[in-house]
Amino acid sequence: MRAWMCMNCGWVYDQATGDPMSGIAPGTAWEDVPDDWKCPDCGAEKADFDMEEI
Amino acid sequence: MTVMPKLEDLVDQSFDPFVVEKLSTGDCPDPYPRIHELAARSPVIEGSYRMQFTDVPDAQMGHLPQVMVLGYDAVLHVLTNPEIFRNKEAFAPNLGKSFGNTVTVMDAPEHTRFRKIFQKAFLPQVVAKWGESVVDPVVSRLMENFIHRGEADLIEEFTHHYPFQVIYAQVELDPAQGPTFHKLAIAQLLSSIGLPQGPEASGKLGAFFTELLRQKRANPGPDLISHLANVEADGEKLPDDVLVSFLRQLMNAGGDTTYRGTSVLLTALLTHPDQLAAVIADRSLIPAAIEEALRWEGPVSSTFRYCSVDTEIMGHPIKAGTYINTVLASANRDPEKFPEPDKFDIFRKNTVRNLAFASGPHLCIGQHLARVEMTRALNAILDRMPNLRLDPDKPAPAIIGHLLRVPEHLWVKFDVS
Repeated sequence: MRAWMCMNCGWVYDQATGDPMSGIAPGTAWEDVPDDWKCPDCGAEKADFDMEEI
Repeated sequence: MTVMPKLEDLVDQSFDPFVVEKLSTGDCPDPYPRIHELAARSPVIEGSYRMQFTDVPDAQMGHLPQVMVLGYDAVLHVLTNPEIFRNKEAFAPNLGKSFGNTVTVMDAPEHTRFRKIFQKAFLPQVVAKWGESVVDPVVSRLMENFIHRGEADLIEEFTHHYPFQVIYAQVELDPAQGPTFHKLAIAQLLSSIGLPQGPEASGKLGAFFTELLRQKRANPGPDLISHLANVEADGEKLPDDVLVSFLRQLMNAGGDTTYRGTSVLLTALLTHPDQLAAVIADRSLIPAAIEEALRWEGPVSSTFRYCSVDTEIMGHPIKAGTYINTVLASANRDPEKFPEPDKFDIFRKNTVRNLAFASGPHLCIGQHLARVEMTRALNAILDRMPNLRLDPDKPAPAIIGHLLRVPEHLWVKFDVS
């Protein structure tokens, strides 16, 4: 399985759960996550995420 | 072929850093009433967290202007604004002296560059593979020492050793040198209370790793040190001082926090037998049990940041040059975020993340490995120690310490299968 992962801390974006604590509703596709959204764990930019095999 | 260099022991071989370490971590049985009292008064209070609980002077930080920051929102604000609340000045006088030029003592942009290289070696999918190949054999080997007895002290015989041995195995250290590594890994931190064994331990670990890196660059293998010794970022290898400092910190933090976290997890479940029974019946509850243990009694109660400009926290002015005691334990027991915060409850419905591993760019690099280790250890104990319970003939476990909390003993009984 592949997923978008923060390369600064390893947090994984799960489309099914989104990131409700940061206003990203469950089901939100990665492409629809705003560019100014930040990793909820470490604050890295969306651009710091890579698609990784998990 | 790599010939493992020999790690030199302390000159005074009778020196016991484990006893001395307790002087700096304290024997406070319950810091939370005081933490709640302080947090209820204000999110920002002048003074140091440490001096709330001990009279042992802080040789490195005691003379510096300090405030305590308390409560979830205030602590998160400090951790997630690294351009204001810096690490370099905060940790140079303490961890910097123990470990050297480690990522904990850096800020952006230097920190950002090195952090990604180190984190890559500890991403979830990487450390997950270590569960079976590295963690399980260590856990199994240690359990063989007591599994036939039907009783054990899970601290003295298990949790105090297994995370350190996982790290030693991962860097392919000679097992015979394990006790010396453990001793020096702990002794490094004694620089903070001004003992000469602190810098002595840092120097000897540094000499060992410098030689090991030289060998691993010449003859790389599949191990973690070979990977770190040869990995490149933007065409550059990691500088030796950064790498040696990271390995010094790995020897300590990689073992010590997981030892404390696992000890608390087991203590919490054994003192809440209904929740232990629920986990036994449904192992899918293990992640929630781990997160609740980390929230309830996180391995590190407070960390430092340095305020680099005049600013304010929750409306309270903070002068540039102030050292911030960022009280993680107060965030994780904030009643506004975690109702009935002193209660251990694996079924708790959380609306925010716990801050046991901090937050922001300095979030614990080893958090994913810690969770893998705790999961593997708990599963092995539940698999091989049926009818696990506290030993009724021994004192109940007591978690102590104001900064790094852990019980000294966890005496249990179980059925021998």
